[in-house]
Amino acid sequence: MLETGEDNSQPLSGIRVLDLSGDLGVYCGKLLADMGADVIKVEPPGGDAMRGTGPFIESATPPENSLHWRHYNTNKRSITLDITSHDGGVLLQGLAATADILVESFQPGYLSSLGLGYEHLSEANSGLVYASLTPFGQTGPYRDYRGSDLAGFAMGGYMYVTGWPDAPPNKLWGLQAYQTTSNRAFIGILIALYHRLATGQGQQVDVSMQEAVATTTEHVNTAYNYTGENAVRCGFRHGGQFVATWQCKDGYVSITTNTAKAWDDLRAWMDRDGMAGDLMDEKYNDRFILRGEHGSHIEELVEAWTLTHTRQEITDWGQANHHPWGPVTTASELLDNEQLWERGFYQEVGGEKLVYPGAPYKLSESGWQLVSQAPQVGQHNSQVYCEELGLSADELQDLIKSGVV
Amino acid sequence: MTLALKGIRVLDFTWIHAGPSATRILSDQGAQVIKVESNQALSVVGGPASNTARGLGQRHNWNAGKSSISLNMKTDAGKELARRLVAVSDVVAENFSGRVMPGWGMDYEGVRTIRPDIIMLSMSGFGRTGPWKDRVSYGQTLQAWSGFTDLTGFPDTKPSGPASAYSDAVGGMAGAQAVLLALIQRARTGRGQWIDLSQMEAMSALLGPLALELSANGHSVQRTGNRLHHGGGAPHGAYRCKGDDRWLAITVFTDHEWADFVGAIGSPDWASDQRFARAESRLGHADDLDRLVESWTVEQNAEEAMHLLQAAGVAAGVVQTGQDLAENDPHLRERGLFQQVPDAAGTLRTIERAPYKLSLTPGEVTRGAPEFGADQDFVLREILGVDDEELAEMAIAGAFD
Repeated sequence: MLETGEDNSQPLSGIRVLDLSGDLGVYCGKLLADMGADVIKVEPPGGDAMRGTGPFIESATPPENSLHWRHYNTNKRSITLDITSHDGGVLLQGLAATADILVESFQPGYLSSLGLGYEHLSEANSGLVYASLTPFGQTGPYRDYRGSDLAGFAMGGYMYVTGWPDAPPNKLWGLQAYQTTSNRAFIGILIALYHRLATGQGQQVDVSMQEAVATTTEHVNTAYNYTGENAVRCGFRHGGQFVATWQCKDGYVSITTNTAKAWDDLRAWMDRDGMAGDLMDEKYNDRFILRGEHGSHIEELVEAWTLTHTRQEITDWGQANHHPWGPVTTASELLDNEQLWERGFYQEVGGEKLVYPGAPYKLSESGWQLVSQAPQVGQHNSQVYCEELGLSADELQDLIKSGVV
Repeated sequence: MTLALKGIRVLDFTWIHAGPSATRILSDQGAQVIKVESNQALSVVGGPASNTARGLGQRHNWNAGKSSISLNMKTDAGKELARRLVAVSDVVAENFSGRVMPGWGMDYEGVRTIRPDIIMLSMSGFGRTGPWKDRVSYGQTLQAWSGFTDLTGFPDTKPSGPASAYSDAVGGMAGAQAVLLALIQRARTGRGQWIDLSQMEAMSALLGPLALELSANGHSVQRTGNRLHHGGGAPHGAYRCKGDDRWLAITVFTDHEWADFVGAIGSPDWASDQRFARAESRLGHADDLDRLVESWTVEQNAEEAMHLLQAAGVAAGVVQTGQDLAENDPHLRERGLFQQVPDAAGTLRTIERAPYKLSLTPGEVTRGAPEFGADQDFVLREILGVDDEELAEMAIAGAFD
């Protein structure tokens, strides 16, 4: 049994994590921290480069004004450390001896070259779970290739199918390839942690962004592997199927004719408005007909009808009849979502009234919590180095002077 | 092989994509996942449209390694068997609409009376509380409602939204995480719990700093195509290459990377334009720069150009197709992303392995998805110890119809 003290208020209370990661792993560190782990963000002296990424809050000054940084580092503590220096390496080894989990996203082999690889740190701490998140993983011919969110999307097969047929392939909004890598890594880490609870044994977790994306595409791999045909870009006609997004009076609306009744209801409502054209004809009875030769004819009729109604009207008709229809919410409407507020998903914090996204899932015994906002650069140096690692105040001052901390 | 979740039993009522992909993650690590299916609802056999080749692939991919039994939950005998299975399970998973499990007496309050330390995963579109709790959704509905659809696409065209159901994959990842967290907490406290997973919340959590940005600065936010909303570089996009619908993603952020990029493509005259000398200025002239970069890529084979740029340290990646992933990518082949496992008839089926490699407990998949109801005997006789006579009575009572 892991020695986690008395505090079991969150699933990961008492678990110590060293977060050495950059873009690929920072969300993984946040997930660990938000679920209760004591995550120590190890920043280079002067602060993590991510603090220079916008959006910025206008009421604060660098290096504490990045909302990007603040979002991804909630509930973490911060220390500064030059891990490339000899003394810095020794300090990190000392910290790793007290840690349950280490998360890093350097080029494969880099930490080993500093004497900080899994093979080094597990000597003093065989229970350490050591997670490495990289663009292509720790092995294979592309292991040293560079990555970015966009390149990860491309190589993972998600980008080729996203967007319009006559336009370039498209990425998803935000840093979804990075976040997917972190989401996958979090699963691997939790599996390793569960095993450690039973056996005391740690292990290495190797996560590749390319694989994380490739296993998130739903249909790209199964389409090719089972039909021999590539899935292609279809805009918002999902896979050319019965799921589609239509322009309406005040934006766009998502209409899914996933059952025969949904398709019949849609036709009936169009007919009621005198806009069904010939769609009531029995040759259109098959709800999969959108895929076939009549596809563009049906699309024209449906969109002519949706253009005469609002998102709300169409959503309400669909939902009242248990059809999975809904509005395309615009970005500026995100914070108007009454369901998210009612369930306490959004959390408004502090005098700045910043709204943070909350728990990705609710655990009845207490899971996600926003205990503290992101730390300032080196905010916990004295707490970690002196109170926990046992350095004297003078020793810490010397390390600061020499640029190690 | 040491399996991290050996000894954990999951009673799996989930169907379609999100739920089964969550429990497949547990199955890979040695959990015994029993799919509860029903003849009464053939459309819910754990994979959409499994009468098509693609549907068959999805059934295998999301249900590999699991067992299947057929229970008719409309009968008392079927419900009684389900309750007996709960009593010997660690996890119950479901993603029905909110009325179904309570109707069977199997909401969390119901199952915990059968097994007090049970972990119950309830996945839904909007969560099991709040004004929208009874609304229904598909992956695309949630992508639309959560903002992803509007945000994905180029600024001057209609939004495309994510292809396929990102929200289902996200729901699957979130579901597995939540169950693992609950198993960890149970190992420490002895207590089970209920997981109320709203896929809209799992998606909204991934819009990251956007909520903070809107609340802090109130600026309107628009989709940005292949550029980043913040912290962007240039060039940063997908560029057309030689061949039919071939593209290369290229991302350059720092001036150092720019110098490497220019050197790698042979230092064409246009690259020495002073507008492109500094990162900020490149961003300001990104449209012009994109056209010039594409004037180079259209003459290149996408794979060769990727290798050329990567050799110079530039993050570039081919926009790979399904065929590329399955057949042309030597890296994925060496790492073994795709595995071949036998189905019930012994035919080899291609599935994805877990996208993380654990050195001590890598997990394993030894077979494809089960045939509908294939493990009736194993589950009823070996797990529950039901004898012939009882089995016959249950059959007469319609438990398996």
